[in-house]
Amino acid sequence: MNLWPVISLTLQLAAITTVILMTLALPLAWWLATTQSRVRPVIEAITALPLVLPPTVLGFYLLILMSPQSALGSFWVRMRGESLTFSFTGLVIASLFYSLPFAVQPLQTALMAVPQATVDAARTLGASARDAFFSISLPLARRGFLTAAVLTFAHTIGEFGVVLMVGGNIPGKTRVISIEIFTAVETLDYGTAHVLSAGLLIFSFGVLTLVYALNRKGGARLG
Amino acid sequence: MARTLAFKARLARGPDFVLDAEAVIPLEGVTAIAGQSGSGKTTLLRALAGLDQQKGDAVRVDFAGQAWDDAERHTPPEERRVGFVFQDPSLFPHLSVEQNLRYGARRRQIASLDAIVDALDLKSLLPRATEGLSGGEARRVALARALASDPAVLFLDEPLSGMDWDRKGEVLPYLARAVSEAQVPALYVTHAADEIAMLADRVLTMDAGQVVGWAPPPIRMSARVEGIGPNGMLIALDGATEGKGRFSVPIRARVGEAIGLGVPADSLMVSATHPGNSSAAMVVPADILDGANDGSGIRVSVFGQEVHLPMLDIGLTGSRVWLSILRALPRPEPRDSQADANHD
Repeated sequence: MNLWPVISLTLQLAAITTVILMTLALPLAWWLATTQSRVRPVIEAITALPLVLPPTVLGFYLLILMSPQSALGSFWVRMRGESLTFSFTGLVIASLFYSLPFAVQPLQTALMAVPQATVDAARTLGASARDAFFSISLPLARRGFLTAAVLTFAHTIGEFGVVLMVGGNIPGKTRVISIEIFTAVETLDYGTAHVLSAGLLIFSFGVLTLVYALNRKGGARLG
Repeated sequence: MARTLAFKARLARGPDFVLDAEAVIPLEGVTAIAGQSGSGKTTLLRALAGLDQQKGDAVRVDFAGQAWDDAERHTPPEERRVGFVFQDPSLFPHLSVEQNLRYGARRRQIASLDAIVDALDLKSLLPRATEGLSGGEARRVALARALASDPAVLFLDEPLSGMDWDRKGEVLPYLARAVSEAQVPALYVTHAADEIAMLADRVLTMDAGQVVGWAPPPIRMSARVEGIGPNGMLIALDGATEGKGRFSVPIRARVGEAIGLGVPADSLMVSATHPGNSSAAMVVPADILDGANDGSGIRVSVFGQEVHLPMLDIGLTGSRVWLSILRALPRPEPRDSQADANHD
């Protein structure tokens, strides 16, 4: 059977999620890394929630949020003429929540490791806060940025529960690799399940090895 | 009117420490800010540089007529033109030495770094990564980077801390030369009496977050290197007569070279009669010229050299006293300022 539509959809979902999430995670991680605000623990907890919540719980609330009866869902139907649930866009939105901690946390850790004095030096040399962020903090946190992007990509590829709740199992629209594996096993198509599972296993192993290799180099540099 | 940095700084640091400092500092030469560690020197510099925002309506920082901070305003650090040299050199590790120097220069539209690179002898270091630099080299680069950003004032926060005497001796002359050649006034935080004697023109002391006041400035004299001594080089005070006014200082210098000397304020004793044999490095005669009108001390003549002593006018104008100098240190000053100190 042709697995390419499933794989291609999964890669698209992961790529789009990664690009959007890194853009959103960057200011959030910077804020978390530098703020002295009292609400920081609350925001950090919210950011970390997808790590501990069962995907079904997250998926359930996202389903409610995006359903045509909700404000967001009905707005989307009026704008685009189709439901947000069980659509690719809905999957992207769900993935943004689901993978949020994987984007924010490595970035936040890396940004917090940039010495304050280094940033202060840049400020006194004429750099605005934003300039110092892009010219000093971000380059020094680049390994954290890369780690965050790789983890977000990999984690999005492996998501299952949330996808099932929000996106269902529509070929070409919401049927991603993990769902396809589930379907294959249900229908006793072990050949397909083997190919996709082994593929994900090797991919995940490769990604984690890459992340640890990145962080080892990062550690050596900082030390 | 002379330009000044006038401030009333207020900043809480944790539950136990409040900076509450007020002073008017002349923007000329090197002003040392001295005090025990934990007295708030670094906190003060950071507040004045705008790195930590101060709290309260009474807060005020006025730099030569520009309001940097007041009840409504907080000028961000990048608009203050403070060349800040931190205790840790804090070089940008992802940039080369030259890129570090250009970081501030580019943002302040300074095209040429040649003068600074020459003054701090950095030409050979320019293409290097910051990682392999020695401690002394890294501090020179940090100083050059601050100077290259065209600062209106330099804030030096213990730029030589943690260096041994030899390393300090390597960096100090550069520091002194750069500061005086760039014609930039400097605030120099330190608790090392030696650095004060060698660099400072005046000394502001702090304690427990407050400004205590002005401490006696180091006493300055000029001298000439005569030869190699038991403890560095043998030097003679300018105008010294045969067999007098000579002692050795820990310095590397050429014979015949003119140098400035700084005597820490607590390393000088004045007596009405010759103290006889003593442990002082040098005992020299001095004639009291007059007490300075502002009550800041008296002027004496030592071998014809006019020297300012930070003590009250003791009413002995015209009489002869003896100065016991316990310890003197070289002031790595440029030639022309020595000429000034020498001119009468």
